[in-house]
Amino acid sequence: MLPGVVGVVMATEAIKLLLGTGDPLIGRLLLYDALSMQFRELKVNRDEHCPICGGNPKITELISDYVAACETDPADTELATAAD
Amino acid sequence: MKSYREIIEETRQEIPEVSVEEVKAKRDNDEHFVLLDVRDNDEYRSGYIPDALYVSRGMLELDIEDFVPDRDEKIVVYCAGGVRSLLAAKSLKEMGYTDTVSMAGGYRAWASSGYPTVKEKSMTPDQLDRYSRHFMLREIGEKGQAKLFDSKVLFIGAGGLGSPAGIYLAAAGVGTLGIVDSDAVELSNLQRQILHRSEAVGTPKVQSATTTIKALNPDAEVIPYHLRLASDNIMEIIQDYDLIVDGCDNFATRYLVNDAAVLTNKTIVHGSIFQFEGQATVLKPHDGPCYRCMFPAPPPPGMVPS
Repeated sequence: MLPGVVGVVMATEAIKLLLGTGDPLIGRLLLYDALSMQFRELKVNRDEHCPICGGNPKITELISDYVAACETDPADTELATAAD
Repeated sequence: MKSYREIIEETRQEIPEVSVEEVKAKRDNDEHFVLLDVRDNDEYRSGYIPDALYVSRGMLELDIEDFVPDRDEKIVVYCAGGVRSLLAAKSLKEMGYTDTVSMAGGYRAWASSGYPTVKEKSMTPDQLDRYSRHFMLREIGEKGQAKLFDSKVLFIGAGGLGSPAGIYLAAAGVGTLGIVDSDAVELSNLQRQILHRSEAVGTPKVQSATTTIKALNPDAEVIPYHLRLASDNIMEIIQDYDLIVDGCDNFATRYLVNDAAVLTNKTIVHGSIFQFEGQATVLKPHDGPCYRCMFPAPPPPGMVPS
């Protein structure tokens, strides 16, 4: 329906980051429910075992085909394998 | 009743002065202090000492606590010639700032000694007018506006999320907007994708987005990428940008953009929507979670709404 709210949140965050001001949504997932008109926020931590940004990353260059990786069953994909 | 001269003489007794040479030496030695410029706006605009904090004399008492909350911070105040800075320093002292001095000779002495100065990119009268509401916000001001002018933001997708984000950032004066989208405008897009107009149906979204943005703000430079992002083209594209605004509509692109951003240490402003629900976050590599930290694997095929 109306993506404007989320798009404008994104624009606002972008401006803050460019200016280096305020408290951006780093580590916070903002959830918006238009029907109940409620905003919630989930705190999200870094995953130290993350396959790309963790301490010992398994992914050190781009996967060759992201579409294929997302279209097959995640259990078999390069994406999921790397995320184990 | 006191004359101007008497006031200045009294203030000189009370407020220590430092020479431009001493200030230069402090900076060269990486000593920590706040260099405070209290001149008028047009004076500041014509050149200032690099990294100086700008608070005009008129706004000083109102704004200084926000910028310098610590009353024991070392502050060196300067103006054009060293008189207004004395009065400003006196006022700061009265407010409880304990270590405030005035730079004798002011900006003129600094500049004529050949010490470094900088100047914001000068704005046209139209730009001064267009962004005047930004100048009133202390978080933006002319300095912030200059930062926005110099910023390059890459939009992944010129659809439902990229439209409002692109329109607002272009309006705000972000200098360069790259837009990646491989689609053409369809009539069914128009109910929400406000970058595109009825007459653009059938044309590439990047072209339609460029037209809309240029009409809104001729200052904006728009770089269209009429292509589908993939592993073999993303690195070359993102390397030129400061920030990525990802409003794409599929998981493959989301993981691709995430991985490329982590590998090149670029921050993503992420958003996604489905029907009446949406989410937004900022993915700053190594500072906070990345998209894979939040969502280690995409949903199984068939569960993915299109």
